[in-house]
Amino acid sequence: MTVTDTATTGHEAGRVTVLEASSVTMRFGGLTAVDDVSMRVHEGEIVGLIGPNGAGKTTFFNCLTGMYVPTEGTVTLKGAILPPKPLKVVRAGMARTFQNIRLFGNMTALENVMVGRYCRTSSMALTSILRGPKFKREEAATRERAQELLDYVGLGRSTELLARNMPYGDQRRLEIARALATDPQILLLDEPTAGMNPRETEETMGLIFKIREGGLAVVVIEHDMRFIFNLCDRVLCLVRGSLLVEGTPDQVQSDHRVIEAYIGGDDEEESV
Amino acid sequence: MDAFAQQLVNGLTLGSLYALIAVGYTVVYGIIQLINFAHGEIFMIGAFGALSTWLIFFDGNLALWVLPFMILGAILASVTTAVLMERIAYRPLRHAPRLAPLISAIGISIFLQEAVRLFYGSVPFADFPDAKQRVPFPQIEVVTGPAFQLGNVTIQRSALFTIGALIMCAAGLWYFVNLTKTGRAMQAVSQDPDTARLMGINVNRIIVVAFAVGATLAAIAGIAQGLQVTNINFRMGFLAGLKAFTAAVLGGIGNVWGAVVGGLTLGIVEAMAVQFIPGTFGGSPWKDVWAFALLIIVLVFRPQGILGARVVDRA
Amino acid sequence: MSRRILPDSVRATHGPKAPWLALAGGILFLLSGLLSWSYDDRILGDLSIRFYPAGIQLYAMLFGVIGVILAVLLLRRPPWLSPARGLRILGTTGIVFVVWIIASVAYQSGGLINANEGGWVALVGAVLLTLAGHLSPEVDIDVRRWPRLSSTLEIVIIVVLMAILLFTVAYTLDIQDGVIFASFLIALIGLAGGLLGTGFGGYLGFIGANNRRPLLLAAFLVAFLFPFTQDGSDANMSIATQVLIFATTALGLNIVVGLAGLLDLGYIAFLGTGAYVAAMLSSSGFATIGWKPPFVVVMLIGAATAATFGLIIGSPTLRVSGDYLAIVTLGFGEIFRLAMFNLDGNNGPDLTNGPNGIPAIPDLELLGFDFGEVHTVAGIPLGRFSNYYFVLLLLLMFVMLVFTRLNNSRIGRGWVAIREDERAAEAMGVNTFGLKLLAFSVGAFLAGLAGTIKAHQDTSVSPDQYVFLESAFLLSAVVLGGMGTVVGVLVGATILKLLPEKLREVNDYRLLVFGLLLVVMMRFRPEGLVPSKRRQLEFHEEDQELSELLQAEHLQAEHLDPEQLEPEHLQGAK
Ligand SMILES: Nc1ncnc2c1ncn2[C@@H]1O[C@H](COP(=O)(O)OP(=O)(O)OP(=O)(O)O)[C@@H](O)[C@H]1O
Ligand SMILES: [Mg+2]
Repeated sequence: MTVTDTATTGHEAGRVTVLEASSVTMRFGGLTAVDDVSMRVHEGEIVGLIGPNGAGKTTFFNCLTGMYVPTEGTVTLKGAILPPKPLKVVRAGMARTFQNIRLFGNMTALENVMVGRYCRTSSMALTSILRGPKFKREEAATRERAQELLDYVGLGRSTELLARNMPYGDQRRLEIARALATDPQILLLDEPTAGMNPRETEETMGLIFKIREGGLAVVVIEHDMRFIFNLCDRVLCLVRGSLLVEGTPDQVQSDHRVIEAYIGGDDEEESV
Repeated sequence: MDAFAQQLVNGLTLGSLYALIAVGYTVVYGIIQLINFAHGEIFMIGAFGALSTWLIFFDGNLALWVLPFMILGAILASVTTAVLMERIAYRPLRHAPRLAPLISAIGISIFLQEAVRLFYGSVPFADFPDAKQRVPFPQIEVVTGPAFQLGNVTIQRSALFTIGALIMCAAGLWYFVNLTKTGRAMQAVSQDPDTARLMGINVNRIIVVAFAVGATLAAIAGIAQGLQVTNINFRMGFLAGLKAFTAAVLGGIGNVWGAVVGGLTLGIVEAMAVQFIPGTFGGSPWKDVWAFALLIIVLVFRPQGILGARVVDRA
Repeated sequence: MSRRILPDSVRATHGPKAPWLALAGGILFLLSGLLSWSYDDRILGDLSIRFYPAGIQLYAMLFGVIGVILAVLLLRRPPWLSPARGLRILGTTGIVFVVWIIASVAYQSGGLINANEGGWVALVGAVLLTLAGHLSPEVDIDVRRWPRLSSTLEIVIIVVLMAILLFTVAYTLDIQDGVIFASFLIALIGLAGGLLGTGFGGYLGFIGANNRRPLLLAAFLVAFLFPFTQDGSDANMSIATQVLIFATTALGLNIVVGLAGLLDLGYIAFLGTGAYVAAMLSSSGFATIGWKPPFVVVMLIGAATAATFGLIIGSPTLRVSGDYLAIVTLGFGEIFRLAMFNLDGNNGPDLTNGPNGIPAIPDLELLGFDFGEVHTVAGIPLGRFSNYYFVLLLLLMFVMLVFTRLNNSRIGRGWVAIREDERAAEAMGVNTFGLKLLAFSVGAFLAGLAGTIKAHQDTSVSPDQYVFLESAFLLSAVVLGGMGTVVGVLVGATILKLLPEKLREVNDYRLLVFGLLLVVMMRFRPEGLVPSKRRQLEFHEEDQELSELLQAEHLQAEHLDPEQLEPEHLQGAK
């Protein structure tokens, strides 16, 4: 866990900010699911997002990626304000996975990842019908890159399997490969190890480190505390929609408010 | 000014009819997010149910006291059809891709129209007229008596019946939705079906109730239409259903009061269009076109409808 | 996938008898063909003579042949076939077939007494086949054991199948009697279902996928040669051109419904747009526009106008929700019809002659080739309808090209993603709105194109040709044949167009049957008769067995070994 040691440094000022969320608030009728949350993610940083069930973590991701239009607040990627439109968010360079896996179940693993390449390719109707050299080149490149990504996440041999037939753990990795296919600068992972056995969890941690080494910033939601504290450079804890604590894993781990929130707020603290 | 007042009355009458049908679209949509495409046919079946009741039990009798029985017969026919339809064509498809129930609904719609057209005239045990063409609808005395004159504005008695029916039904609906247990369960299901199920509400039953409520109102609309136009035919549900759907969208689909407001608005717009759009694009040949154009305009500028009911999709 | 009607205990004790029951059933069917089915010799092509089988008796004997084949397969147990399923389909359809004929005999000759022994023997046979199907054990089809044939042999199989196809089509068109036609159709469904339902269909698909080009070539050759088999007669050619127009339009609709998953209920209006444009720009005396451009230009204008309407209708609704689209397109269909009905000069400008429409549209003339005249090629006269047939065949090929190429591309993948999970697709960077709009307008464009030819072929256009029921009719073809496949739509369109042509007696019940068909298909076989694998999976999300079977078929088609595909980290875990 040497990585954690080197990255948890206080001098953030010198580093490039990739993502900045300022005062994001999301209300559903009377319920404030996300309440004035701000977050800054730097290049090559792994940030953890924790909180009891219903704290608003997923909702916060939805606000970041434009799937919800936040009631208040703005999201900035590399200095440019992101419009709350999923399509534009992906094109700008932020990709995500889903807590409840949302793969295209009736497509093969390869096709799933190829869909991820959609926003980085450009063949339209006429090109596709005429099948000129440009089309063939782009199609081959898409296929090649998708296979590369499958190899990268360790699914190189599952290329032609239907996503719905794949084991749970593999489906989670496939979601990561699909997200990576959009060439993101920052990756949001919503409970990437939920339902995995310890060995798979370990592998996923390795994968996330590898992704960061490739220059991406990563934000991870997880309930598995050991996983979060070993993985992240910085951890944010949400409780009932508000940001309770932010700091290094050590700081957050020892913060009594966090412990209280988990013990007092919800009885199911480590859902698997 | 007289023309305006006259069209207002006409529009309210027409709108009441649309509103009665539109409620059916909206309650079902609110609960299972299904556009019950065949709802127009439920309206048609209601009209034929009333006619059949009259032919079997009261043939030739036009006294007012017959009307409640006809309403009962209409409701019986509509509700039975709607409930069967839900059971046979929709329930098995509840977890299928969205396309499946829609296509099934179209099938049901065509089937019901054709069944009435082909077989109404040859039902055993009853002497029903052939329904391949329009069939005259019994003109109950008091309802079809001479029209009222308010200054230069003519108000048909059947129009009063239609508007009155809407008022009664709206009151009944309000009572049902807000003050009965089933009605409140229905609201709960439409807001959050999973939680409602956890709370012990029988969602299947609520869905059936929603279909039945919609069918009841549609049946009454069927009678209103029969009294007003003096005849009914197997195709009457198609256009009326389409218009009523437009009304439901206009009011915000899923919102019961929206359906009423949307229906009245559509009726008035249509009546005014007939009167006030100048030139060769005015007049009744184009009124349906304007109604559908309104639907498209609403979808562009205010897809949630006038009253707005749709919340954020769960992502 | 298996429907278990009999309790397991019965299946266990009597299972071993199944092959013999099937054999007996098959032999009874064969025998019944040699017996008399009807006392009355004037009906149904004379079924009264013993040991001299006529049409319907021959169909019964075919049931027997397939029954015997399946019985033998039950005994031999090849690992890649499951005869049980085939037997159930064959037997059940057999019962329907026999009951239908006995009923027809009884009805036509005034009494059940006129139904002779043949039918009853066949009925026993059909029941035995069904019983055998339900008794015999289900085989888990192992597609890895598919026989590998030499490529020559594969091509021979394809050629033979094509020849059978051509023969069947020619035979079908020649049947004049409605009841015999219906019997043939039922028999065809039973026989094909009985054979292909064993899993043989998957294998044929595999062979076809191995030989795409020869297959396509053979299919088009067959289609191209068809007019030459008609001896200059226009009777069948007129039906054939109608089937082609219908199939082409339905295939365009299949892009919208089958590929993009959008329900378009006003599709006929786009066909109408093309037809009206062609009519208004034609040299008919009733045409309302003075400009007479060459037909190629007319085609483009017609298609472009339709596509523009598609964009106008699609852009607001596709943004909102798929369900709204269904209703709005329905409304648009009505607007189109009303507008065509109204635009007669009294209500709006005079463009369409109102309810009368535009009659007397002259035949097409392309590059000096007059479509109205008889041309003789290689000694065989080809009449007016044959001429249109060839153009329409070209158009169909074009639409097929557009369909398959779009489907197998970045765009096609985007459509699948939208069908699977629209919000997730968007979150992964798929331009969902753009792709839906594309499907919608390409569909409109192709329908408009077809419409311009239709106007000339019909020689007139009028509003009542473009009503909602026609759209529903097109939709039925897509649903019946198979969403998302070319072959499916061709099958669906052919069946739906031929049926009313041949069954004139029951033409009045046509729509009733279509309505019922839509409901029944959605309930029991939403993927259609010739489904696309992906669509089949989508409609059976819960069916794990099916997804594994199709998965295995897919791996076979890609020539991959499933054993090697297990992810390495799992092999330890198992
Ligand atoms: N579309 C919506 N409409 C209404 N309420 C919503 C919606 N989405 C989320 N909520 C509510 O917002 C709150 C926060 O939910 P969220 O899913 O963000 O929690 P979470 O922190 O991700 O929890 P978990 O750890 O269980 O995944 C919950 O009370 C939830 O019911
Ligand atoms: Mg969550």
